[in-house]
Amino acid sequence: MTVKIVTDTLSDITGDLAKDLDITVVPLYVRFGDEIFRDRVEINSEEFYRRLVYEDILPSTTQPTPNDFLVVYEELAKETDEILVIVVSSKLSGTYQSATQAKDMLKAKCRINIVDSLSVAMGMGLIVIAAVNAVKNGANLDEATQFTRKALSRSRLIAYFDTLKYLAKGGRIGKAQGLLGSMLSVKPILTVKDGEMSPLTRVRSLNSGFDYLYNVVANAGKIESLAVEHATTPGDADKLVERFSSIFPKDNIYRSIISPVIGTYAGPNALAISYLEAE
Amino acid sequence: MTQIKTVAGQDLRDMFSAATTWLEKSSSEIDALNVFPVPDGDTGTNMMLTMRSTMEEAFRAPDNSAAGVADAMAKGALLGARGNSGVILSQVWRGLAEGLAGKESITTADFASALEQAATTAYKGVSNPVEGTMLTVMRAVASAARDQVDSGNEDIISLLEVVVEAARDSVANTPLLLKVLREAGVVDAGGQGIYTLFEGALRYLRGEVELMRLRKPQIIVSEIPHTTPLPQTGVIDEVPYGYCTEFMLKGEKIDTDVIIKRLEHKGESLIVVGDESAVRIHIHTLDPGNILHWATKLGTMHQVSVRNMDEQHQDFLEMQKERVPTADTAVITVVSGDGLSDIFASLGATAVIPGGQTMNPSTKDILQAVESAPSDKIIILPNNKNIILAAEQVQSLTQKQVAVVPSTTIPQGVVALLAFDYEADFKTNTRIMENAISTVKSIEITRSVRSTKVNGLKIKRKQPIGLLDGKLVVAGISDIDVLNKLLDKMEMDKAEIVTIYHGEDVETAEAEQISAGITEKYPRIQVEVVRGGQPHYSYIISVE
Repeated sequence: MTVKIVTDTLSDITGDLAKDLDITVVPLYVRFGDEIFRDRVEINSEEFYRRLVYEDILPSTTQPTPNDFLVVYEELAKETDEILVIVVSSKLSGTYQSATQAKDMLKAKCRINIVDSLSVAMGMGLIVIAAVNAVKNGANLDEATQFTRKALSRSRLIAYFDTLKYLAKGGRIGKAQGLLGSMLSVKPILTVKDGEMSPLTRVRSLNSGFDYLYNVVANAGKIESLAVEHATTPGDADKLVERFSSIFPKDNIYRSIISPVIGTYAGPNALAISYLEAE
Repeated sequence: MTQIKTVAGQDLRDMFSAATTWLEKSSSEIDALNVFPVPDGDTGTNMMLTMRSTMEEAFRAPDNSAAGVADAMAKGALLGARGNSGVILSQVWRGLAEGLAGKESITTADFASALEQAATTAYKGVSNPVEGTMLTVMRAVASAARDQVDSGNEDIISLLEVVVEAARDSVANTPLLLKVLREAGVVDAGGQGIYTLFEGALRYLRGEVELMRLRKPQIIVSEIPHTTPLPQTGVIDEVPYGYCTEFMLKGEKIDTDVIIKRLEHKGESLIVVGDESAVRIHIHTLDPGNILHWATKLGTMHQVSVRNMDEQHQDFLEMQKERVPTADTAVITVVSGDGLSDIFASLGATAVIPGGQTMNPSTKDILQAVESAPSDKIIILPNNKNIILAAEQVQSLTQKQVAVVPSTTIPQGVVALLAFDYEADFKTNTRIMENAISTVKSIEITRSVRSTKVNGLKIKRKQPIGLLDGKLVVAGISDIDVLNKLLDKMEMDKAEIVTIYHGEDVETAEAEQISAGITEKYPRIQVEVVRGGQPHYSYIISVE
């Protein structure tokens, strides 16, 4: 029986892509005050960013319950006895906890390995896609797990934020704290390092942001996969894809929308790129 | 006539100590010999302060041999070097000390070779030596001394007389060697400083101590009227802020002129705007109660706000302290103006050394900041061409790894600091920050400190002038006029962001007006207005 792969919505793998990859995506919860929504099930990205910008309430996200994972495990256990779960960085969300607790609760005979991706958004999404390919090529659970763990260090995520406003409002942001308090309007560029948001540098305009993101990829050496994401500005993401097309086949560039967890900090107009270095 | 065949260490110290006092008397006049009519010319002050530090160390010299005193002078000069002229002067003393190594006292032959060494070392200290400067004068000094020794002169006094004469001729000749001096109608300020020092030393040896008290050194060729000394910027931490007092006054027939007259001496940054029925008043004062009490008689008060600015500033500093250090490389920068200082701190500068135009920090000031920074790797942003050399001196004085990213303007410093990469190593960061400098255009608007002609422009004293990347390119009738002329010379269609840092004497309202003007002319460009609080420059503007 082939290994089944499970991830969470913070991988930014949703909809058709999730279907094509034949993976299960467990939603986190997005909370605006008393209102709770299942991410991308009960609230879509457009609605999320609209409320983020126009409402005073700052949204927060909550990990899936152990039961949410248990239900998924039970369902999958009917058709397989090996599940690989790849979740968002344990330093950004408690999702890893829930996935692990659910594993202990599962009565069905099924082996489950859980990998902390130490990343988020397509930085994690590309790891999931690589794992799916490994399984397609015949890897069993242990091989796929080992492959995934090794792939973590090949993944890189760089995000351009249009404003510091939401970063300042948000909660724990690790070393990115150092970017706050700027008296000039600057646009921070961040990455995920050791599972945490970490500052890279700052630019003052969208075009300099484009240049920076482009240069990161251009200087990255050989890359296996590339993803471009936007929050509210698909046109900007199109421009980025166009620029990358000279160094990477355009049709192979994944496109997605920045997930609410990063979106809470990034705010509207943010962009993110992720890539996986070639082995 | 008295003859002196040898000079002992003590004499060496006393003659240059007297020379320092002599220089001090004309330092403000040397300051005024500035080519650029912008307030960055404190060559006289810089040389004088460098000499003070030089001589303080000389008096602490552990041994009184000529070599011991010269060594101490070299050390003091290095630590106290301010501005380019100070750094070159410190090289002179270093060369002299090398030339006098091991000497108990000095003969004319010793003196001549030491002066030659001093001139050589001074040239070596400058990456791109220019003739018509203090370097040229120093070489004339050395060569005159050599000629005297070769012709058998063993008397230090008569040797020095010839040397001083040669220095005078060389200084008078500097406008012929350097076009900018010729255009401005001045001699080289650093050269004048060197001449004054040797002249002072000579006068001391001749025993003219009494005369020196009564007279002043002569500026060699000066057709230009001297300017009054510029106000010095204060050390930022010592600026008293007082209370920022703001309120709206409503009533009938309110006379804003009366309000301005009454309040203009009650504090700083006074703004009074409005009509006869409503007036908004803003003032930084030490006594808000007095002002509010008086204002109640004119009408009703609304939106009264009194904020303790010392507290605000303190809060700000505390907030900065709490920020987690995020990288192992510290950035130290030189800035004048409370607003600019806060901006640099907010962008992550580890230390901000107060200074800039008209107040160049010494090598020692920079060294102290380097030593107290919580990191072993330091990048320095001098933000001024006159501070780069002093900053570079620090590299040889500390165990820490120090790189100087040669920013010459505030906008260059800002883009360099912003480009700092939190993950890059020290060398890469230095390169990234250096590269960033070229991505910004810097506009500086100030007033000419005297009438002059530069780059074909005729400029009147106090006339608004505009610099583009450090080059004086326009003069106009007002700040706005100068700015518009400058913008017309630039490729504004490529620009994305304009940041306006307004100076201590500029009201925010006026800066906002300028901002609105730019937005109207170039609607695509994003304009940001920030209070820089810098002295002398009404506006510093970055175009990115």
